Amino acid sequence: MSEENRKKNEMNTAHPQEIKPGSMPPNASISRKLREFYNAVQEEGIPDRFLDLLERLEQAEKNAKSVNVK
Amino acid sequence: MKKQDENDDRVFKRDLLASLPNLRAFAVSLTGRHDKADDLVQDTIMKAWANQASFTAGTNMRAWLFTILRNEFYSQMRKRGREVQDSDGLFSERFSVHPEQYGRLDLQDFRKALEKLPDDQREAIVLVGAAGFAYEEAAAICGCAVGTIKSRVSRARSRLQELLGVSGEGDFGPDPGDAAITQRAFGS
Repeated sequence: MSEENRKKNEMNTAHPQEIKPGSMPPNASISRKLREFYNAVQEEGIPDRFLDLLERLEQAEKNAKSVNVK
Repeated sequence: MKKQDENDDRVFKRDLLASLPNLRAFAVSLTGRHDKADDLVQDTIMKAWANQASFTAGTNMRAWLFTILRNEFYSQMRKRGREVQDSDGLFSERFSVHPEQYGRLDLQDFRKALEKLPDDQREAIVLVGAAGFAYEEAAAICGCAVGTIKSRVSRARSRLQELLGVSGEGDFGPDPGDAAITQRAFGS
């Protein structure tokens, strides 16, 4: 989380040489909206279909390996 | 099966799972749609699993997964041609479940604006501004120079500002809570 905060700060303060005076607040709010949008998707968590898929992949691998041993 | 292999598999799966919410958000940002994004994530998981051996343990798995997903996205787009962008009904549905939570931010408008960006600008601003990658990492994921990423991010920001009509600080008033505190502080 602290890594994320560091990034957030970086995003708002990165390369000031490219930013004209007075344009900082809109950039900051764009960054904020982007993160709100992105975080909203992240917070949906992991759909079951992916957990099931990983289970199946893992099981298939185990089966393949046990066949190889025989 | 050796103990070490088993352990590597567990670590691989654990790290893959830990990256999924972020990877999925990247997919939604690229495709603009939840259903397409989830198909893309599924393809990415299968690719990653099949290529486990090519992943160097201890290196950045997140960057590795993002690279796979991005390559997959562009190769699918090349194959199918770009389909007409339909508004993401699923997305609207999900976000309207808790309108009180998202209402103030109007994420629908933001998503639409994001969709209007050229692909290269969109991925650049999402990787650096939301997914948590440094410019250097984003450049490696996109296979381009760091300077290219920086200029894409900068162009993306300007375009989003235009599209969203964000003119300045006035668009983001203080939270109602803050305003109340301010009033209390200066009211007496």
